[in-house]
Amino acid sequence: MFIARSEYDRGINTFSPEGRLFQVEYSLEAIKLGSTAIGVATSHGVILGVEKRITSSLLETSSVEKIVEIDRHIGCAMSGLQADARSMVEHARVTSQSHEFHYNERLGVESCTQAICDLALRFGEGAEGEESIMSRPFGVALLIAGFDEQGPSLYHAEPSGTFYRYDAKAIGSGSEGAQAELQNEFHKSLSLGEAEVMVLKTLKQVMEEKLDSKNVQLASVTKEKGFRIYGDEEMAGVVGRLEGN
Amino acid sequence: MNHFPEAWGRPRDEIYGAYNPTYLPSSLGGAHQPTTRTQSPIVTGTSVLALKFSTGVVIAADNLASYGSLARFTDVHRLKPFNKRAVVGFGGDVSDMQYLDRLLNSLDVEENYTSSTGDSKQGGEEGLVDAPLMSAKNLHTYLAKVMYKRRTDFNPLWNALLIVGLDDQSQPFLASADLLGTTFSAPSLATGFGAHLAQPILRRVVPNEAASRELSREKAVEAIKECMKVLFYRDARSMNEYSIAVVDENGVELSENEKLENQSWAFADRIKGYGTQVV
Amino acid sequence: MASLFHAPMPSTGPGYSFSAQPTAASAPRQHAGFYPYTDNGGSTLGISGATFTILAGDTRSTSGYNINTRHAPKLFKIGGEGPDNLNARIVLSVVGFAADGNALKERLDTVVKMYRYQHGKEISVHACAQRLSHILYGKRFFPYYVTAILGGLDEEGKGALYSYDPVGSYEREQCRAAGAASSLIMPFLDNQVNLKNQYDPMSGQGLEKVQRVPEPLPKETVEEIVRDAFTSAVERHIEVGDGLQMMVITKEGIEETFSPLKED
Repeated sequence: MFIARSEYDRGINTFSPEGRLFQVEYSLEAIKLGSTAIGVATSHGVILGVEKRITSSLLETSSVEKIVEIDRHIGCAMSGLQADARSMVEHARVTSQSHEFHYNERLGVESCTQAICDLALRFGEGAEGEESIMSRPFGVALLIAGFDEQGPSLYHAEPSGTFYRYDAKAIGSGSEGAQAELQNEFHKSLSLGEAEVMVLKTLKQVMEEKLDSKNVQLASVTKEKGFRIYGDEEMAGVVGRLEGN
Repeated sequence: MNHFPEAWGRPRDEIYGAYNPTYLPSSLGGAHQPTTRTQSPIVTGTSVLALKFSTGVVIAADNLASYGSLARFTDVHRLKPFNKRAVVGFGGDVSDMQYLDRLLNSLDVEENYTSSTGDSKQGGEEGLVDAPLMSAKNLHTYLAKVMYKRRTDFNPLWNALLIVGLDDQSQPFLASADLLGTTFSAPSLATGFGAHLAQPILRRVVPNEAASRELSREKAVEAIKECMKVLFYRDARSMNEYSIAVVDENGVELSENEKLENQSWAFADRIKGYGTQVV
Repeated sequence: MASLFHAPMPSTGPGYSFSAQPTAASAPRQHAGFYPYTDNGGSTLGISGATFTILAGDTRSTSGYNINTRHAPKLFKIGGEGPDNLNARIVLSVVGFAADGNALKERLDTVVKMYRYQHGKEISVHACAQRLSHILYGKRFFPYYVTAILGGLDEEGKGALYSYDPVGSYEREQCRAAGAASSLIMPFLDNQVNLKNQYDPMSGQGLEKVQRVPEPLPKETVEEIVRDAFTSAVERHIEVGDGLQMMVITKEGIEETFSPLKED
């Protein structure tokens, strides 16, 4: 499958004769190895959910951080190389703080996503002659959830630097099955509680392990409480509401 | 024998000592030269006057460059035509004027090069429109930014400029820019001593924009010439030979050796109270 | 080589409205050097109402006792479309050193226009106000020698007015006068807009007296106050006069007017 590609595999800024950037395409593959992450946007707020993949019974589950805060009103879930996500999130946090410092207002969710995607492209030289700061594209995709003056919104950012807004989106190893499930289940009048259950139910279908309150993580972004990662008790509550648990 | 050809023909070091390169730029082994900035003007030109009339602008400045109180150069032309729509008049330091003149010439070359203006009509290609010439307004904006940048770098171009000509709507344009980057525009303007002596006379001719739209070219030229005379009477750094230019639809008409006419020094014997004369 | 361009002309100027102008008495400099500032005189003021903000400034530009021009606007539209700032909803007024004022205006204008491209929405006045503060503070050690006033409508449609010092410290106010005649106009505004030293005549004597409570004024009243403030300032300050530029910001947009002031 990869035989013909060898010539254009190395230079990350070299197009193949068919007009493809292989390293960028490979980075998309890296995400398909990652754990599944799901986001669902409702009119009240956005729910993010991830599978934690507890590889050992000795692993401290609380140390697996796949949902993180960017600002009070923006959070994100990740799938792929987590270390890469750290520098993207760091960049988003700085951008958000800098925006609030300069403009005395919160950064918009789309602007935040744009800022992250600007960074994602920095494996090549910048348009204003900035130096290339990375030797390869990021190997991680993000689901960025936030609440701004336009209401709640969910964005998907890829290593290629493209981003789209979604009502519901799944990324990672189980994304194909999960996305099909979301397609069937999603409707505009979803409540936040229904969205919580929908995210867990979809995760449950694509997870190899049996879903419990330890190996999944939920977070929400709402107008009232902003971004919030669910605590152990709250997680147990939502898992309890799932049928068959 | 010395095997370095660059040393051939040079005085021998063992007799005359090594060559002293300190005056050369550091790239040629010279000592580090200090950066230099204009702290005060050296050779200066005095006032520049300009006045808008119905279809154009008239501008004048004398041909003297002074070295302090010494009338050093008597053939310095301080009106520089930029293109057929704009002229710049320079007051203040003459070397800075010459720098700006070189800058404007290279700007003009660049403009003609990139926008292929000029005589393309001769080529007769159908539908080929001449790219518009840089207007006096554009030129003023450019010069104002150059002046402001240099003052911000604490390395000012020690000049007061008047930029005259036609704007992008082909209307008469007159504005000033100085060493601080300050800019303003009015129906009549005068720099240096002219601001004190000529501007009041010019403002009687054109108190406002409406008046300048009514003013004829002849009256405008006459007023400017009258002001040049008053300045020659009173400004000790002025001269009776001057340049005058008119910019209108027909282009720039520049005369660089006008002589002051109809002088009358009859008023002079009534002046008392200066120098050693006390009564 | 002392020359005309070096020192002030025959007479000394009318005095700078800021005290930092070096004088032989205060701080003798080592050698005749280059001082990068000047004062171009003039005055500005702004008053905010319930549904509008008015900014005004005279159009005289001076250097020393000379009038550079009788028409140099000090009020600028910020943002909007193109070089004419079509559909702009924010106004900046600057008074002090005019070259710095222009540079400041152009920087803020590009920042506001870039904001629209980057964030896909019009900047709010309070965001613009914070940004302006940072632009000024960014040149803390070589300041823009201007007193700025920024006006517009806030997110609730109420009049918003922000005033600044040259290094970016700012606050939102009901009214503010700045520039050469600020010390003449501001007390008048305190009395007429914020009703300072005005007591209810029926409220009794001495400590019994009750201060009148200020409330947002109607647009016509404010326009009258602005006009009165400037006609009075023109009488008592030589750097103020020639023309009055006014900008009224309402939800319909910005209405700009020029009217004559005394030219003496």
